[in-house]
Amino acid sequence: MDTFRTIEVKRSIFDNNDRQAGELRQRLKKEKVFLLNLMSSPGAGKTTTLTRTIEALSNELKIGVMEADIDSDVDARSIEKTGVKVIQLHTGGMCHLDADMTRQGLEAMGTENIDLAVLENVGNLVCPAEFDTGAVKNVMILSVPEGDDKPLKYPLMFSVCDVVLINKVDVLPYFDFDLEKCKEYINKRNPRALVFAISAKTGEGVEEWADWLRREVAQWQKD
Amino acid sequence: MHELGILNAMVHTIEDIVREEGAGEVEKIVLEVGQLSGIVPGYLEECWPAARYKTSMETTELEIRVVPGMVKCRACGRIFNAVEYDMKCPGCAGQDMEILSGNDLIIQEILCT
Repeated sequence: MDTFRTIEVKRSIFDNNDRQAGELRQRLKKEKVFLLNLMSSPGAGKTTTLTRTIEALSNELKIGVMEADIDSDVDARSIEKTGVKVIQLHTGGMCHLDADMTRQGLEAMGTENIDLAVLENVGNLVCPAEFDTGAVKNVMILSVPEGDDKPLKYPLMFSVCDVVLINKVDVLPYFDFDLEKCKEYINKRNPRALVFAISAKTGEGVEEWADWLRREVAQWQKD
Repeated sequence: MHELGILNAMVHTIEDIVREEGAGEVEKIVLEVGQLSGIVPGYLEECWPAARYKTSMETTELEIRVVPGMVKCRACGRIFNAVEYDMKCPGCAGQDMEILSGNDLIIQEILCT
C-alpha cells in the first residue's frame, strides 16, 4: 500500500506558463527582438490594422508576423502581400496562444535580424488575456461596432493591455458609441493603458500609433 | 475550449511541482476557483477527463473549491458578493468596485505518493 503525502502548493495554475513567458522575454531582450501581442475579438480589424502598421514601419524596421488561428491561412495570405516575413500558426482548436506555443512559432519563423515580431493572437477577448505569451507589450483592438461597454464586460482583457486601439472610428456617426465614455471605462479598468482612436481603413490616427510602437521598439533595443 | 486550455496549463504547472518535490503519482489535486475568475467549475469538471488524457495524471482526481467573489464598493464602502448582487452594489447601485477575493485560480494542494 502506497503512503500518500500532501504537498501544500498555493500556486497559480498559470505558474508554468508565466515562467516560460519570462524566459522568452529575457531571450528576446538579448536578441533585440520586440514581440507585440495583438488581441481583439473576431472582426475587429486586427489584420487590416496590422497591414497599415506594417506600411508605416516597414521602411525602418524588419518585421515578422505570426498569424494564429484555429484554422485556415487567409490572414497570413493578406499579410504576405505587404512583403514582410509571415507564418501561420494553427492552435489545434485552442482559443489562445501560450508562451510555449509562441516560442515554437518564433523559432519556426526565425527571429534573425527581426526588430519587430507581431503575434496576431486568436480572435477572442477571454482566453488570450489569461496567458502571458512572453510579449514585450500587449495591445488590443476594440472596434466601434462592438460597443463602448466592452471594457466593463471583459475587464481582464482591458487590464492586461498596454494599449487599446479603438478602430473603425470612421463609422462613429452610425453607431451609438461614446468615445469619451469608452475611454473612461478603459481608464477605470486600467489607468496605465494608452488609447489611440484609429481607422485602419482611412488611415486616421495610424501615424500616432505607429510612432508609439517605433519608440517602444527603439527603447527595447537600447543597451 | 477555454476550460480545457486552463486545465492544460494547470497540468504543466503540476508537472513542475512534481519534479521539484521529487513526488510520485498524483492522486488528487485541490484547485481553488474564484467566482470572479471567469471559469465555470462545472465545465472544469466536465473537461478534466479530456485534459488529463495521455498525461501523467490519467487517474488523478480533481477537487474544486469555489472561493466567493467578494468586492468592496468604491462609492459607499459596502462589502458584498459580486455574483449574488449581479456586479451592482446593493447599497448605492454603484458599479465601481475593488475585488477582495475570488479573482484567482490557485492550486491549493496535491496529494501524491
